[in-house]
Amino acid sequence: MSTATVLHKKELASALVEVCSVRLGDTWFGVPITHILEIIGAARPQPVPLAPDYVGGLVHYRGDVLTTVSLRQLLDLPPKEGAQAILVLESDGGCFGLLVDAVGEVLTVSSADYEPNPSILDQRRKTLFAGAYKLKEKLLVMLNPERLDPLRLSQAS
Amino acid sequence: MDELTREFLIESQEGLDRMERCLTDLEARPKDAALLGDIFRSVHTIKGTTGFLGFKRLESLAHAGENLLGLLRDGKLVADRPLITGLLHLLDGLRSILKSIETEASEGEGDDTVLIEQLEELQAPVRFPGAQELSASTTANAKQKACIKAGVKSASMAPPPPALQKAPTPCPAPPPSAPVPVSAPSAKAARTSEPSEVVASPAAPPPVETEPDASRTRPQTAAAGTAAESTLRVDVVLLNRMMNLVGELVLTRNQVLQATAADPNMTLLSRRLDMVTADLRENVMKARMQPVSNIFSKMPRIVRDLSQSLGRRVRLQVEGQDTELDKSLLEAIKDPLTHAVRNSLDHGIEPPEVRQAAGKDPEGTLKLRASHEGSHVIIEVSDDGAGINVEMVRLKAIERGLIAAERAAQLGERELLQLIFLPGFSTAAAVTNVSGRGVGMDVVRTNVEKIGGKVEIDSRPGRGTTLRLRIPLTLAIIPALIVRSVDQSFALPQGALSELVHIPPEQASKAIEWIEGAPLYRLRGKLLPLVFLDRLLVPAGQHKSAIEHDNFIAVLDADGRRYGLVVDGLADPEEIVVKPLSAVLKVIGLYSGATVLGNADLALILDPGAIAQKAGVTMSADREATGAASEEEDSGAAKAMEYLLVEAAGRRAAVPLADVLRIEQIPLSRIEYIGDRPVLNFEGQLMPVEDSGAVLAAAESSAQADHEAQIVVVVCREANRHVGIAVSHVLDVAAGGDLFEAGTSQRTGGVTLLKDRVTGVVNLAGVQPLPSVEEAPENWNQLAEATS
Repeated sequence: MSTATVLHKKELASALVEVCSVRLGDTWFGVPITHILEIIGAARPQPVPLAPDYVGGLVHYRGDVLTTVSLRQLLDLPPKEGAQAILVLESDGGCFGLLVDAVGEVLTVSSADYEPNPSILDQRRKTLFAGAYKLKEKLLVMLNPERLDPLRLSQAS
Repeated sequence: MDELTREFLIESQEGLDRMERCLTDLEARPKDAALLGDIFRSVHTIKGTTGFLGFKRLESLAHAGENLLGLLRDGKLVADRPLITGLLHLLDGLRSILKSIETEASEGEGDDTVLIEQLEELQAPVRFPGAQELSASTTANAKQKACIKAGVKSASMAPPPPALQKAPTPCPAPPPSAPVPVSAPSAKAARTSEPSEVVASPAAPPPVETEPDASRTRPQTAAAGTAAESTLRVDVVLLNRMMNLVGELVLTRNQVLQATAADPNMTLLSRRLDMVTADLRENVMKARMQPVSNIFSKMPRIVRDLSQSLGRRVRLQVEGQDTELDKSLLEAIKDPLTHAVRNSLDHGIEPPEVRQAAGKDPEGTLKLRASHEGSHVIIEVSDDGAGINVEMVRLKAIERGLIAAERAAQLGERELLQLIFLPGFSTAAAVTNVSGRGVGMDVVRTNVEKIGGKVEIDSRPGRGTTLRLRIPLTLAIIPALIVRSVDQSFALPQGALSELVHIPPEQASKAIEWIEGAPLYRLRGKLLPLVFLDRLLVPAGQHKSAIEHDNFIAVLDADGRRYGLVVDGLADPEEIVVKPLSAVLKVIGLYSGATVLGNADLALILDPGAIAQKAGVTMSADREATGAASEEEDSGAAKAMEYLLVEAAGRRAAVPLADVLRIEQIPLSRIEYIGDRPVLNFEGQLMPVEDSGAVLAAAESSAQADHEAQIVVVVCREANRHVGIAVSHVLDVAAGGDLFEAGTSQRTGGVTLLKDRVTGVVNLAGVQPLPSVEEAPENWNQLAEATS
């Protein structure tokens, strides 16, 4: 293998990002897989009375009680009936769950298709989103896992 | 920090802890060679290792101590009080340096010369046999004192030679590494810098003698090392994680058991799983247990220091050191226990002359006792001091504005005793550094209640005070009642629960009374503030306003506040595994954690104290305190005289409530007969059923009319057996009054005044009014064994 191809491959690798796609309503969002610990399907979080709105409830996760964040609530979408999927995300303050409608697949996207947040987004969405990838058939809106941490959210509100 | 240093720190701290224990023991037995050897070893080990690791400050301090201890061990000095004080100071000095190494990874900038001088001064009154040496030593002492007076630091005659000879000895095994040669000469330099000519003085304690001793201790430490190999240090975080996983396993097991119940092939396997899980859980919990001696061992020092500074003579007695408690709980009760001991010394035990005047032993006794009682560990701190002067408590409470004077006048002795738990309360006339600041007993109570425990106090004037801390065995698993509200399950810790009241829907509107929007319930004639859990949890306007369904009032006692929590439904009590909540949910304040129930549902654990606060059950300090006190008084007095009022075939009878285990409604067919004696097969054991009222016969005759004959059996505890009493109805719970025989004014036995009617008390021991079951226990037990 020549040095040139190795270099080329390295360049390519650094430009590619693996993203897990999740659906909420009609929108597809992306979460970098490096932040995801586990995906739990068909969970019914236990609501917590008097908790902040963005808290989607509690789920039982590997012997611990995990606080979940409802992405629907955060984006002012109406609550969804029935079971939802949970992405278990890792952040500085520990783990938390992110409630989404459905989990899609792991995509490999290229940084060439990346665009930062458009300026017309409102302030809240600007902090939650981290730009978007232009895929062939849709836009994949990147989420900023750090900003979704319930602790960060409670500080923000 | 490298592994070696960390290990050294842990080891040294353990060594110092041991030394502290030994030192206080030494005071009682100054000649005990084993103790001295132990202390010497601790210091010696520290010195040896520090030389290796290059902690110079630590080394020189340990060295000074070692010299002193060497003399002590060789019998050249006697461990008198100032000497032990000096050694304790050495201990503190070593500890503070270790602490600074732990936190800042360096020894810190402190100056130990004063301490070292003090230690060296203690070596001075060495007396050698033989007049010549004696005189020589005195002159040397004079010289030494002159040196110190002249401000010459360190370096008496004794230390340098051992420093020269011994510093290299601790590390012959490892190849001489860089720090050793550096530290040894420098220590030497520091010491021998000035009066090196004095070293030649014949009065110097023969330094050579410490040498063989040092080597003699070596094999002993090695032996201790092999004993340590059978144990292992485990990170508490890892243990916590294990506990969590075991909790998880228990849960999964419960689900497996449920799922496989129908499949006979799986029964054996799932039973095995059940057993192994239970065993595992028990052992992991055991791994977290530590003997209370871990905190008790700190007390001799505290008692010693305090009694000296307060001028008391105190003998400390410790019992039940092996009683084990979860590590986190042990940590949590350390402060309350210290407070309690301080209090006993300062307020309890009188100065020797006062004690003598009162005809007591001038030496007071402070007793620390730990024991198991059911699922609790009881820790008692008792003294034989003056006891609490309740009149003084009354005056001080009024003076400090904790209670209104007219209210205080009405309080009884027991209620007054409770006042000492109020924040800001103190009877001390002057603020000393020991106590009198008005923090203390309230801290004791708050800390103990925080971990689900209880504090009881008992005091007799002139005879002493006993403080009893009731601590749950473990924090991780607590008994809780599962309640339902807003279509969710919540766990209510049973520690705070005192009783449950059911209000049927048709009575709801009548039973709950209102004062200006504040719901109240009349509980045995007293108004109980109510808190509706659903209204608390769901913002106003969103909840269903109807109270026309079943309501249950859980009567709670939290931090001295008493209130009723109204919930929609009750489920079974469960042993729950407490899981912490994330910070976002903790700030809500109403929940102390979450748990996973047997059916795999999640439930939030309610915090009774926080709910009371949120709902405004908080009263002003005055009312709160007296309310709580009188309530406690109530329940305390009632425990002795409360009765269960029952009716047996038209006759009323009373059963002491304290003896009642539970009340069971069972179909008549479950009653079986041995001969003509009715018995109940109860949890696989036979329980005699008393039927003096012929309830069974009555029920049988009525059974022909409607075949679902049910009888009520009151299950009671009598000595160490269970007894059932067949009754027609259970009427009420009431406090009984004493009756006195006319003329003689003697208290009558067997009857009590219940609800203004003279009622016979069921004598469970079996004399009257029921026919005797005196001989029954053995017989029945034999029968039970024979049949099972």
